[in-house]
Amino acid sequence: MKSGWRFPILASVAALIGILIGASTAYAAAATPAGTLAAPESFSSIADPDKRSAALFTELGKVLTHPRCMNCHPAGDRPRQGDQRRLHQPPVARGADGQGLESMRCSSCHQGANFDPGRMPGNPIWHLAPREMGWEGKTLGEICAQMKDPARNGGRPVADLVSHIGSDALVGWAWAPGAGRQPAPGTQKQAGALVDAWVKTGAVCPQ
Amino acid sequence: MTALALTINGRAYGPTEVRDDLTMNDFLREFLGLTGTKFGCGAAQCLSCAVIVDNPDGTSVTNPTCIIPAVGFNGKVIRTVEGHAKDGELTALQKSFIGHFAFQCGYCTPGFLNEGQVLLERLARKPVARADLEKTIGEALDGHLCRCTGYIKYHEAVRDVILADPKRYLI
Repeated sequence: MKSGWRFPILASVAALIGILIGASTAYAAAATPAGTLAAPESFSSIADPDKRSAALFTELGKVLTHPRCMNCHPAGDRPRQGDQRRLHQPPVARGADGQGLESMRCSSCHQGANFDPGRMPGNPIWHLAPREMGWEGKTLGEICAQMKDPARNGGRPVADLVSHIGSDALVGWAWAPGAGRQPAPGTQKQAGALVDAWVKTGAVCPQ
Repeated sequence: MTALALTINGRAYGPTEVRDDLTMNDFLREFLGLTGTKFGCGAAQCLSCAVIVDNPDGTSVTNPTCIIPAVGFNGKVIRTVEGHAKDGELTALQKSFIGHFAFQCGYCTPGFLNEGQVLLERLARKPVARADLEKTIGEALDGHLCRCTGYIKYHEAVRDVILADPKRYLI
């Protein structure tokens, strides 16, 4: 008697799993394990080019909204630090050139390379993103619109974002941040490939 | 191991081989015995470890030493708290610190002294208006922590030196 109603339930569960698998194929990014990035090819099943482009940017958003990137794209003049995104200590400000005040320059502590014994991150061109490139507190759609706007992206054509994210040395630090800091998801090359695919599909922003 | 050579308080040191993971703070305190530079938080957040770096262009900045490798100072010219007084004569800023009893435990004093000295030298090159002085001092000393909460006294001590010679430091 019990087996009589087990069958329909099992069949329903199987059908539901099938539907979910079908849906997740179209949005491979959603199933990507934490700390990784989906390849652009995995979005090919999204037929609508606009939706595919927006999905590519959404995947890239895992990098853009990661503490390694967001900490130095603050809404104000003071960066944040660490995986918990605490306000930077000691208290520092961007200054006129984005590299600190006269009394405390970024390079005073952030030298040419990470110094793990002191838990100090470093890069030869360490500096804050300009104020107009602040991402903190914004939705992914707002960040996307900002990145496409030459007035708020450093005067870059959208195509230039491929090399900026895919090969810029300071951006690349996000994937090699030193001990005690979680790297950005995936690799810089994979992030660059996502930007490239996003640009080639029309650079559509997610809602 | 990497070779390190630098100038500290006008005296040349090295070249000497040091470990790449040796901090500048340990080099000063443990290798050279210059213990005036303190080790506080170990994370560049209190700046009791700050020393003065004299740049080739004539400007100077303070640098924490607890989170920076000693080899990062290779070729640099620096000053520590031991280098302020000349021939036993304290500087105007040191005297002002004493006059204001600007320190209690004294642990943060070397960092504040170095920062205040850098500010005085900067103002001598680029004077500011009297109206901007309080903000300028505040910004300069902002990163330094004093567990005894002597901030106002430090601020006043620096300000007194500046106001004692307004033609030099103020527009």
